[in-house]
This record gives sequence, C-alpha cells and structure tokens, in this order.
Amino acid sequence: MFQAKHQLIAGLVVALAFAGAAQAQETYKIGISAGLTGYAATVDRAWSDGVQTAVDVLNEKGGVMGRKLEVVIEDNRSNPQEAVTVYRKMVSSDQVNLFSSGCVSAGNAAAAPMVAKSEIPMILCSILPKDVEWAFTTLPPAGFEIEKRFEYLRDKTQIRKVGVLHDPTPYALLQKDVAQKVAAKYGIEVVSTEAYKQEDADLSVQLSKMQSAGAGAVMKIGLGGTTLTAAKNLKQLDSPMLLLTSLEDLAVFKPVAEVLGDKFFFVASPSQVFEAYPDGPLKTAIGQFLDPWKKKFGDRDPNWASRGWDSVMLAAKAIETGKSFEGQAVRENLEKITGFQGTTGVYDMSPTQHQGISSNPFVVAQIIDGQVRIAQ
Amino acid sequence: MTAAGTLEVVPPVLDVRGLTARYGHVEALKGVDLTAGRGELVAVLGPNGAGKSTLLRAIMGLIPNQGEVRFLDKSLPRRDPAGAANKGVVLVPEGRGIFGPMTVLENLELGAFAIGRDKAEMERRLNRVFELFPRVKERLKQVAGSMSGGEQQMVAVGRAMMSDPKVLLLDEPSLGLAPRVTGEILDTLGALSASGLPVVLVEQKAPLALKLACRAYLLSLGRIVATINPREVKSHDELAQYYFA
Amino acid sequence: MTNSPSTTSPEAPGLARPHTRHFGSAAVWALSAAIIGYALVFGGYMATIVAFALIYAVFVSGLNVFMGLTAQVSFGQSAFAAIGGYTSAVLTTTYEWAPLPGMVAGLVFALVAAFLIGFPTLRLKGHYLAMATLAIGLITYEIAVEWESVTQGYLGISGIPPLGIGPFEAVSDRAILSVLSVIVVILAFAVTRIRRSRLGRAFSAVAGSEEAAGALGINVSRYKLVSFLIAAAIASLSGSLFVHVVGYVSPEVFGLHMVILAFTMVYIGGLGTVAGPLIGALIISILPEVFRGMKDYQDLAYGVTMILILIYAPKGIAGVAGALDARRSA
Repeated sequence: MFQAKHQLIAGLVVALAFAGAAQAQETYKIGISAGLTGYAATVDRAWSDGVQTAVDVLNEKGGVMGRKLEVVIEDNRSNPQEAVTVYRKMVSSDQVNLFSSGCVSAGNAAAAPMVAKSEIPMILCSILPKDVEWAFTTLPPAGFEIEKRFEYLRDKTQIRKVGVLHDPTPYALLQKDVAQKVAAKYGIEVVSTEAYKQEDADLSVQLSKMQSAGAGAVMKIGLGGTTLTAAKNLKQLDSPMLLLTSLEDLAVFKPVAEVLGDKFFFVASPSQVFEAYPDGPLKTAIGQFLDPWKKKFGDRDPNWASRGWDSVMLAAKAIETGKSFEGQAVRENLEKITGFQGTTGVYDMSPTQHQGISSNPFVVAQIIDGQVRIAQ
Repeated sequence: MTAAGTLEVVPPVLDVRGLTARYGHVEALKGVDLTAGRGELVAVLGPNGAGKSTLLRAIMGLIPNQGEVRFLDKSLPRRDPAGAANKGVVLVPEGRGIFGPMTVLENLELGAFAIGRDKAEMERRLNRVFELFPRVKERLKQVAGSMSGGEQQMVAVGRAMMSDPKVLLLDEPSLGLAPRVTGEILDTLGALSASGLPVVLVEQKAPLALKLACRAYLLSLGRIVATINPREVKSHDELAQYYFA
Repeated sequence: MTNSPSTTSPEAPGLARPHTRHFGSAAVWALSAAIIGYALVFGGYMATIVAFALIYAVFVSGLNVFMGLTAQVSFGQSAFAAIGGYTSAVLTTTYEWAPLPGMVAGLVFALVAAFLIGFPTLRLKGHYLAMATLAIGLITYEIAVEWESVTQGYLGISGIPPLGIGPFEAVSDRAILSVLSVIVVILAFAVTRIRRSRLGRAFSAVAGSEEAAGALGINVSRYKLVSFLIAAAIASLSGSLFVHVVGYVSPEVFGLHMVILAFTMVYIGGLGTVAGPLIGALIISILPEVFRGMKDYQDLAYGVTMILILIYAPKGIAGVAGALDARRSA
C-alpha cells in the first residue's frame, strides 16, 4: 500500500516535471511513435535509426535554418492504444513540432485526429490514415511492388499464370487488390489468391492449391518468417513455381535464397542494390544517406531506414521553402513539394496527393552466391 | 410417534431404490435401497471408502447416478441439486461447506435463499435456529471461517434448517470434533427427528449413531450388506462382525 | 456484505459488519479521486492515460463481478468489449447512428453472444471454462481481422464520433474525463448494491463452493450465467466507450493484451472489492509512465513493482485497505 503511494507521488512529480521542462523551445523536435517492441519492431527500429541518422547529419551542418533538430522517440509496442498514449505524451509534454512515425498503421490512424487537432504535421512510414490533411507518407503506392514483379515475369519469363499469397495486413490487402486489377495489363492471369497469417508455420496447402491451379509463380505479399516457410514448403513439394516476394529486410532473405537458390526473387529498393544500381540522381541521393548509415550501422539493411531519412529531408525541405517552422506552414509546404529526389524515388506531393512517390524505383533482385544482384 | 424398533411401519418420505453411481470406471454405489420416514433417524454406517458420502451426493443429484430417488411419492430429477434442495431434500455436506468469508448471519440467510425477501419468514426461521443452537445467535456477526469446528458445524446444520427441509441429510457431522460438541450436535439431531423430521445420518463413529438411530444401514463397497436394528446390537463385537464380514 | 438488509431482527443486535470505520477504503477512493483530479486540472497526456485507465476500470469492474464476486475465470471478456466497440463503431460511422443507440445495440449483441456462449460453457468448471473463454476471445479477434467488409480488418475503422447525447458532445479532455468518472462511480455503486443483494449472496455462495451452493437450493449454473451476462454487458460498454473516446478501432485494441492488462489490474486493485477495479486500473496505467524515463529498464521496473505489490499486498490495494479497516475496528 505505502509502496504504491510512493510510486504514485513519484509519478505525479515526474509528470509535473515533464510539463514544466518543455517550455524552452530552441530545438525543432521530431517525434517518432515507433513499435520498438512487438510485431513492427524490425521495421520501426530501422525507420527510427534512419530518422536519427538524418537528424545527426543535418545538425552537423548546423541544423535547418540555423535551428538544431532533436528526436523524441517513444515505443508504442506496436499497439494502437499505446500509440495514442505516446503520441499524446509527445504532443503535450514534449511539444514536438513534427512527427516522423513508424509503420504501425493502426496506431498512426488512431492518433491522427488528435495530432491534426494539435496542428502537427506527420510524415509516416505506414499507409495514410483516412481524411487527415496533416498526414503524409513515404510509402510507395501499393501497386509498385506488384507491377515490378509482373513486369519482370512478362519481360524475362514465359510464366503467364500466377498465384497471390498474402497476409491480412492493410498494406498487403491493398497490394492484393492491385494485383488482381492490373494483372491483365501485363498479360498475366491471377489463377489463385490465398491468404495466410503471420504466425502460420505451414503454407503447403495454399501453395499446392496454386500449383494445381496452374500457377507458374507465387507472388508473396507480406513480411516476416513466413517467406522462409513458403520457401521450405515449395522445396518439400518439389514445386517448379518461382517465388517472388515483396520488399523486406535483406537479413530475412539470405536463408530463403539458400533454400530456393535461383527460383527465388524479391522486390528490392534502390538502396538495397546500391552497388548494382545504374548511376543517376537517385543513386546520388542514396549515396548521401548510405555513407553516414554505413559508418554507423555497417551492413545493416538500409531499406526502411532510407525512408525514415527521407521523412526528415522532406520536412527540412518544407521548412526551408516556407522559411517557417510553424505547423500550418510546414504542412502547406509539404504539399507543395514536387520533384524532390529522395532515396526511395522522386516525391511529388499536392493538396490531394499525400503519398508522394510517383515513379517506380524498385527492381526485382536475387541473391546468388550470397550476393544481392538485380535479376536478369 | 417415534417408531424406533418397529421397522417399516412409517410410510417413507425418502425412498431410495437401486441407486447406482460411478466415478469414471469405478462403480462407487451398486444398487442401494434406503428409506427414511417421518420421525425416523436412519444411520448409514461403514468403513472409509464404502460409498457413504457418494450415497448422499447421489441422492442430492450432485453426481451422475442411476436408479430412483423417490421423495414424497414422486421421483426427484436425476441431476438437479438446487431443485432437490428447493423441494426440501437438504444436505449438510462433509466438511460442512460453510462459506468462510461470510458472517454467520449471511451463511444462515443463504440457507433460506428460496424464500426471497420475506422478512417475517426469515425471522421465524432464524429464531428456530437460535432455539436449536443458542450459541449461534451470539456469533451472528462473526466471520464464519474464524469459528471453531463445532460452531461451524452448528452453523452448517442451522443453515440447512433455514431452508425448512423435509428431509435432512448429514455427511459425518462429527468429523474432527471433540466428543462433547459432537454429543451436543447429535442430541439436536435426535430432537429434530423426534419432532418428525426424517434424518439420514452418515457416520463413521457407529456407537454414537446407533444410540440415536431407529435403523442403520451398513454399507460396504457400495452395497448395503446389512440393515440393523440398533436395539438388537448387543455389543461392539457384534458390530465389528458386520464391518469385517 | 455490510448491513444485511434482509434481517431486521430486534433480537439480533449489532447486525452491522464488524468495521464501522473505513479509513483504508476512504484513502483508496481519495487517492483515485486525486489522480483523476490531477488529470482534470493539468490535462496533457496524463488526461489521455487517465481516460484509458477509466475505460479499463469499467471493463475490469465487469471482470470483477465474474471473477471477484462469483470466483469464475474468463480470459474471453475482451470478446464482449470487441462486440460493443465494433457495433458502436460500425453503426455510428457506416450507418450514422448516434452514439447512445449504437452503444445500446452493442450491449444487446454482447448479451446475446454472452448467452449463447455462456449457456453451454458455464457448465464447465475451472480450467475448462478458462480455456473455453480464451478461445472465444481469440475467435472474436479473428473475426474482427477477417470480416473486412464490416470491420475493415487491420486497417480499422476511423472517424468514429465522440461520446455525446443530442447537442452535448464530450470532446475536450475534461468533458471525457468527467463522463468516464461518472460512469465509473455509477458502476462502483451498482457493484456495491449487487454485492449486498440477494443476487450478490448467490454469487458469493457460488464463489464459496458450487456444491454447497447447489445443496442449498441455489441454481449454480443460472447464477453463473447471470454473472457472466453482467460482466459481458459491462465489457461491451467499455468497448463502446473506448471507440468513441479514441475515435478509432482496430482488432489489436481488443487482443490478448487487453485481457492480460485487465487481469493485472483486477489483482493489483483487489479481486472482489468495489474500489479495486478503479485503483488497479489507475495504478497499472500510470506506472509505465512513471518509469518511462528509464527507457530500456521501463519494463523491468514495472515488473519489479508488480511483484512487490503482490508480495506486500497479495489481496490487492483495496483488499489491504479493507483488511486494515477490519483490524482497526476489531
């Protein structure tokens, strides 16, 4: 009992201290609501480190318009309710100026109305919350990963029938819908669409159905260990089908490549195939990010981190264009960004387009002899 | 009125016919017949594991059973303890089944659960329990779990009496009690049966039960092996013969 | 368990319960009021945390009826919160109902579901019942994920209107906190009444021993079902409150996480006590914030504190307060 009382008093004191400390506002604060623990941990830790890398680089150059940046990061445990709490904490206690939040879509959606009311722009890793003019995303349109794979099948293989294997996450569902819609444009037929769950330990039923429906390739949409499961199942079934998966951390793909070898393809972002990527403005932009990233994290996968980096650079661009740190101004100038070369592609925002990436930067890649290569 | 000694002259209130019960594959009760009529206190004797408690639990419908339990010339539903209790067949379970965290009064009131909010009737029944066990009245607001075993047994019997039973079943009320307290409780039971209430008393301490009973059933391995007229039991040795037969 | 309303016997003096002084319990209520008061006055993110805590206090109050008063175990109460929450969310967005009728509809659905589930499962005992209820929670979660045409799956439903009746809408932190506080107080009052009532006596008899209760003529399965229905109705209410306060719902909200949190709250607060759900919910919600500054050690500090509370207050905070009162007046 007394124990609990003391804790509470301590809690109240801490809370008061928070409220007081946030008064002096010299740095420009970027808040991150990230799933540092829970299902989004891999992605969101990378995203957060990307944001931090960008902030460090900008601060070394003297900040943005002479003002230093500061990162405030809170773990939302990949849970929407926790996300609302940490967003609220960062809004009222830390008084952050902008959010660069991670990939927990539900958490971002749950907090979005409250953040909008506080007039704080959000640049996200996840899909856009509905009807919120304060939110922007670095996420490429759902079609890009799909179209790149169809394109590859059309141009480089004889395969014209595919199966779509997806998990129930919002982004995967969007991609699945796109796949069914655009397949015909590439002369490809989706003969089978099967769902699975992230925790499934066996996908052979879904894969067998696809094979018997005549599919020559499996388009897998979704993250995590299920990719390796699918690969093992294909091997067990001795299936001739190719496996083409969506964007993912390279660390996940290495064991998959060991199982399936040259039957395994994946969508890669330019930063993941940096060495092999053709020269151009995109390669230059990635290089600017990859240098400090590699200094700090070595060979760690740069994919999601590069989008975190982009989110900071977009914010800096908007601030410099409008010469204002004020929320409303930053929001309006984010909408005005066009032709901005990021690490994931070119961003073209507008009042009606808050998902900025407009050209498809992806490539289809393979891992041959442990080396990542653009698929031929 | 008392019928001690004259077997089977009183029409039975409780008439158990061919009652069988099993725990899993073990047949714990193998076709037991037993009757208890107005004013009769019948004892069920037998060694540990004979099936005495099982018999009472089966009569109440607390465990799956086969056979028939007739009460006031109607069959009791097979698996409905609450229904049986509300009809007037009330069990004071082994270990008393007192609600420890509740007060004595609350325990007693639960015994009269079926009467609802009838305060006058509640008073009447409480007073009757106080007459049977004056000591209980002094402890009404005490938490039942903090009382001695004997007092708890009094509350348990009192609680059963609160429901105004037509047949009272008791499972080893003397268990773990000092002889004096046991005597006190058994005397009350004797008085209750003398006032007309049929009582079925399961007891391991045969001599105590035989003093009160008009008839005793000797249960062994789930069967009634003997029906005894207590007046005809001359000595402990004779009883022991039944036990070890 | 205090004054026994069904006895007015003049021959039975002092029928009131032993404790006449309630310093400990009063302290628990005062502490709860102080925390809510702090959030009301200072607002900020404490307001969000306390609002969530109050919603949880509602949910835990229901759990407390089933687990505390009736001594049954259910890991599936989140299912009824989900039914209430999703019914409110769908009816107020897709069909543009007002919040209150949506809430009532959720309550009805939750009761129907609880009846259909409770009728067969409540015949089960102990861990069988626990397993069955766990399954119900998981199944409901799956339905929320898979029934996309209605629930929108993981994407969730956004744009849910705030709590409100007619022109009055609870939008500000203060309004939300006030509405939730009133609901929690009403529920605490209702639980007090239930405990003292005939129904409450039946619950505690079932809690004490199902066999003894049955032998006394108490229809055990019926009262277990009633207790389950009350708990489900309250859970449904908490689910509706959640979606209106946050304005958004997705399946994760009503996942296993919710059940674990609620169990922690009910045990830390004091199982079977009236003030337990509130103080438990408040403390469990605030503790992580107290330790938030400790970053990576946050979970460790939280865990250690939980263990300390359970060692020194095994009956929960309200339980200890009640025991102190009893000892003082004895």
